Amino acid sequence: MAKSITQEFVKGLWDEIPPFRLVLGLCPALAVTKSVQDGLGMGMATTFVLLCSNMLVSLLRKVIPPKVRIACFIVVIATFVTVVELVMQAYTYPLFLSLGIFIPLIVVNCIVLGRSEAFAFKQPILPSIADGLGIGIGFTLSLGALGAVREALGNGTLLGHSIFGAGFEPFAFMQEAPGAFVGLGLMLALMNLVGKK
Amino acid sequence: MIEALLFMLIIGALCGTVLSFASKIFYVWEDPRIAQVENYLAGANCGGCGFTGCSAAAAAVVEGKAPPSVCAVAGPEATTSVAGVMGMDPGSAEPRVSMNPCDGGDRAEDRFYYNGVNTCEAMVAMFGGKRVCQVGCLGYGDCVRICSFSAIKMGPEGYPVIDEVACVGCGACQRACPKDLIHVRTMSDRLLHTNLETDPLAPCQQTCPAEIDIPTYIAQIREGDYEGAVHTIRERNPLLLSCGRVCPHPCEDYCRRGVEDEAVSINQLKRFAADFEMNSGKRLPIACAPDTGKRVAVAGGGPAGLSAAYFLRRLGHSVTIFEAMPKLGGMIRYGIPEYRLPKKTLDWEIEGILNLGIEARTNMRLGRDFNVADMEKEGFEAIFIAHGAWVDYNLKVEGEDLKGCFKGIDFLSRLASGEELDIKGKKAAVVGGGNSAIDCVRNLIRLGAEEVSIVYRRTRSEMPANEVEIEAAEHEGINFVFLAAPTQVIGDADGNVKQLEYLKMELGEPDASGRRRPVPVEGSETRMDLDILITAIGQQPDMSFKNMGPGMADLKITRWNTFDTDPYTLQTSIPHIFTAGDAATGPSLVVEAIGGGRRAARSIHQFLSGEEVKAPESSLFKRHIDESIFKQVPGVEKKPRSKMTELPPEERVKSFEEVDKVLTEEEALAESNRCLSCCRVCYNPDVAA
Amino acid sequence: MGDYLVLAISAILVNNILLAQYLGNCPFLGTSKKMETAVGMAAAVVFVLVMAGLITWIVNTFVLQTLGLDYLRTIAFILVIASLVQFVEMFLKKSIPALYAGLGIFLPLITTNCAVMGVCLINVNEEYTFIQALVSSFAYAVGFGLALILFAGVRERVLLGRVPRPLQDTSIALVTAGIISLAFFAFKGMV
Repeated sequence: MAKSITQEFVKGLWDEIPPFRLVLGLCPALAVTKSVQDGLGMGMATTFVLLCSNMLVSLLRKVIPPKVRIACFIVVIATFVTVVELVMQAYTYPLFLSLGIFIPLIVVNCIVLGRSEAFAFKQPILPSIADGLGIGIGFTLSLGALGAVREALGNGTLLGHSIFGAGFEPFAFMQEAPGAFVGLGLMLALMNLVGKK
Repeated sequence: MIEALLFMLIIGALCGTVLSFASKIFYVWEDPRIAQVENYLAGANCGGCGFTGCSAAAAAVVEGKAPPSVCAVAGPEATTSVAGVMGMDPGSAEPRVSMNPCDGGDRAEDRFYYNGVNTCEAMVAMFGGKRVCQVGCLGYGDCVRICSFSAIKMGPEGYPVIDEVACVGCGACQRACPKDLIHVRTMSDRLLHTNLETDPLAPCQQTCPAEIDIPTYIAQIREGDYEGAVHTIRERNPLLLSCGRVCPHPCEDYCRRGVEDEAVSINQLKRFAADFEMNSGKRLPIACAPDTGKRVAVAGGGPAGLSAAYFLRRLGHSVTIFEAMPKLGGMIRYGIPEYRLPKKTLDWEIEGILNLGIEARTNMRLGRDFNVADMEKEGFEAIFIAHGAWVDYNLKVEGEDLKGCFKGIDFLSRLASGEELDIKGKKAAVVGGGNSAIDCVRNLIRLGAEEVSIVYRRTRSEMPANEVEIEAAEHEGINFVFLAAPTQVIGDADGNVKQLEYLKMELGEPDASGRRRPVPVEGSETRMDLDILITAIGQQPDMSFKNMGPGMADLKITRWNTFDTDPYTLQTSIPHIFTAGDAATGPSLVVEAIGGGRRAARSIHQFLSGEEVKAPESSLFKRHIDESIFKQVPGVEKKPRSKMTELPPEERVKSFEEVDKVLTEEEALAESNRCLSCCRVCYNPDVAA
Repeated sequence: MGDYLVLAISAILVNNILLAQYLGNCPFLGTSKKMETAVGMAAAVVFVLVMAGLITWIVNTFVLQTLGLDYLRTIAFILVIASLVQFVEMFLKKSIPALYAGLGIFLPLITTNCAVMGVCLINVNEEYTFIQALVSSFAYAVGFGLALILFAGVRERVLLGRVPRPLQDTSIALVTAGIISLAFFAFKGMV
């Protein structure tokens, strides 16, 4: 049953890609995908936390008593979230402002906690790194893609560059909450259509 | 830096201490499996599963409301582990398998046409579903979609088919089915289930006193799955070899094909499956539930006792049978003659039941060698008494104790025990019109009696014996004397019986049993010469044990000397004593005793588990579902039923060789194809109607 | 008083936590399939959110800010919330089983509900006073419940619709949520 490191990595990019296949982590997927930049930024922050927490949990898996494991995971995750928060505040202040409250909220993103529990707590460090990286990059790509759709339709731009020319009237709808829900819902439908299951 | 560390330490310690104290103070017991299952779930409490957190999801899994794969976060390993906790380990619990009892599918008729919805759940929200059948499958496959183990597929006939090997018994389909049709059941649940008003049952299965799933086993025979057919029959009837031979098959009277054509030869098909197993030379394995450590005494090793012992053993209880005669079998050994049920066959069947791990103590008569108090003392927590009805009624006429006079059951059992009786060349008469009387005459003719008569006080059409038996006796040259009531038995000087005097009768008004009452014709006394007289006019149970041993005063007995019980639960007026068979019902069918044995086993199981002993709600018990009894059955083409081969009468009267032969495989297949595969209201017509 | 009313209306309708602030969506989709579940969840969120809002406010004002440990806010809050939820769950289960049966089973779901953590952080970021924090916590929770219950009602109807296969389940739920959110969008001009 043991999968290779590559398989553990690749599964996060398609088979278990959040938030589509693994319907978790919806809040950031909805909230911070107004633009590609925000989406990717959020995704990378989450990837970093996921990677680090998976690594640390995997290393400590023999030490942590199973009964209080959830509390331990939360502390580990919260620590890395704080690190990310401080780093972003220092080096990418505009992004920090635009992501706002959602950076500390990575701590309650159940993808992160879920991977610690479901994977890292039972697996050695290398597969855990692969898993964290795979799921994280999958999440980043999803957020980026949703961000791209919403930015293109809602603002007529992609990464800040105008793409449809001056005559394009943007759908302001897509930039707002309703657009986020509908956009994510339709992308999910598209994924269902492409994938078999 | 120091402050931060200190702060974290303090807040961590504080939270930890408060919680660990709280968990001690606010401790509430819950099913330990919930904690085990929760241990394997992700613990992220994300709600992705649709349940309210991981512990709620774990509780749902334990209650069978969610599949082991409930967790959206944890991987397939977790699913396997959870499935492990949930009884896939045969040591700790029985495996659970999903069952779809409905096989109506696409053939079921629609009430209305509607194309707007495509799930069962939505369909039920619309007027309870579009099909005419109130209980059947809707065929939209909610269960197929929910199954995470690909164990359910939509079959070609429009109803889901379950792969029992792939099914882990998670219960997701049961939860998904809005018709409450699919149930995840353990083997014990299946053994304990009795017909309900809400079940999708064919008329034959409603009629069978043992509630055998007849359409299923016929379908299995049709598909060549003879072993499957044996397993299906064994779920309700452990004595399939015997029943396949002696059962008067009340089911066939309600066969839907029989409305338009000859009924399907259901019992012959049962015998075919049963003989297939015996002739294959190997016994099919019979699974038993894990031992419960409870002990049950079964007094009486007849069909009811064997049936109860078999079901109790399969439910995991430890069973000991006490039998008065030297061998087990009761009336089917000592009452049914060799030419109908060979002893070799019966031995093979009983051995199979005892092989489950049932102890048998023979030559132990209740009331003579032991009594109820002895069984209680030995540590049996429940006692099942099915000692049958072995006491023959007397003619109550002068001279019936002369030499050469026998009682029916006494005669049959002495014969079956191998006693040599001098019958050759003698003239014999049997008084009575029931099955025992017919068995006696057919035995007498085989023993070389010169002339055998049957004396019955009404006419042939009122004879309670099975039609086939009466016919067989006619073929074998029995002399029938109808409308004759014995008044006196006359002997010679040595006390040997010589003549029977009887009054001629004529039929009057119908009596309570619906049969016309025979009225004597004044002055019509007639005498017939004979050397042997057997009276076989009915039996009743021997309740003399009631007066031997203490504590029996509360045992209620009816005026027919049977136990006074609830007819469904078969619990007597003493809560830990149960009964079934002839001792409960008076002389009746073998298959009735087998059905009773199973119901009593169910009641005993409830009693031992500390539950209230009662019939399930909406139990169908001996009734029929109105909507499934048809006056016309369109679409049936007449096809003659397979004729059973029997020994020619000239040959069979010379020996005790079995008269009826089993169907050949070809005949059985042809016969199984006559079955309409009925369900509650739908069936497969022969031609497109 | 008027200020509090504005704050409450803004939190319930204009800045509805689910539909405008994008918080708490995982349980929003998970527990909205049936009306009963939605009502239970809504009540549990009101209960916990008010308690958590107050306790985190106290922790923040009197401990973190006094010690100058603002950067430990995330980690401290999540620990306090998780412990609080677990404590309340155990307490209810033992002491008030009737209430536990109604609400308690929803409590674990709240630990990782970002709505709870999110509102606590909003309270702190906006530098609300104690009373303001109380009002905002309560109002946000009511907004959560309102959206959840409305959504559950719609979802029960969607069941009867003929939904194309790829859109079934979560996908149609998200689109539906989008349309409801569009309705809430109309409140934007109010405050």
